[in-house]
Amino acid sequence: MPLNLALEGKVYPEVAFTVDPGRAAAFAAVVEERSDVVPPTFPTAAEFLLFPQIVGDPELGMDFTRVVHAEQEYEWRRALVPGETVSARSRLAQIREKAGNGFLTIETQLLGADGEVAVVARASMIERGEGG
Amino acid sequence: MAEPRVRFEDLAVGQEIPSLARVVSREDVKAYADASGDQNPLHQNDDFARAVGFPGIIAHGMFSMGHLATCLTGWLGEPGPLRRLRAQFRSPVFMGDTIVAGGRIRSLDPEARSAILEVWVSVERDGRTEFPIRKSEAEVRFTTGA
Repeated sequence: MPLNLALEGKVYPEVAFTVDPGRAAAFAAVVEERSDVVPPTFPTAAEFLLFPQIVGDPELGMDFTRVVHAEQEYEWRRALVPGETVSARSRLAQIREKAGNGFLTIETQLLGADGEVAVVARASMIERGEGG
Repeated sequence: MAEPRVRFEDLAVGQEIPSLARVVSREDVKAYADASGDQNPLHQNDDFARAVGFPGIIAHGMFSMGHLATCLTGWLGEPGPLRRLRAQFRSPVFMGDTIVAGGRIRSLDPEARSAILEVWVSVERDGRTEFPIRKSEAEVRFTTGA
């Protein structure tokens, strides 16, 4: 089933994400980052908290078994602080279809308690066509 | 706190940053899956990976991106100046591979005290260089007086 192109711009319900110090430290250990900082790509943990509601969105019609992660971007406005809780909000920033393949970009904003954006993440996925 | 290792004034177009190598093991990939929450079986189950055409499990693209970010923050001495990173995932990483992150300064903006770098992650395999991350970009910005 092809992606529903009409869903471009859809915003998903926000989810609270706590920067668990133990989990951030485990992440730092595996990417060999200094133990006293939250690794820059740790926001991926917040994205994976949100992805199930997008992947499972019956309106979108995504087949995750045929999806590859093609590109990822982060914009850091400030560092995340261990222990803080941010609001994670995803929207379908772009949906395209080309040569039978679907292209989807999910933009996720992490907002601090002050309502300001701390991190913007953009995950771009390719859903390979049925024939591929 | 560590002093920033790099100052804007030290940067030049064409300059390469110190590369950073590591071996990727099955234990690392499992630990990454648990810390990130990405439990895709492609990164944990060899039978699943073979069914979709790989010789065995592959590392998450984000594992290589995390390593690339560590290379950049190691060069900078702290994560603060790293403002943006975009990675294109182009080639799989297998267990036992040595991934090497690197970058080169493409342009400088003295007014904004920022630099754009071309960044990559490479793997030597069967006498060829593959790029799990290629044609990718980082932006670093230094606050005045830092």
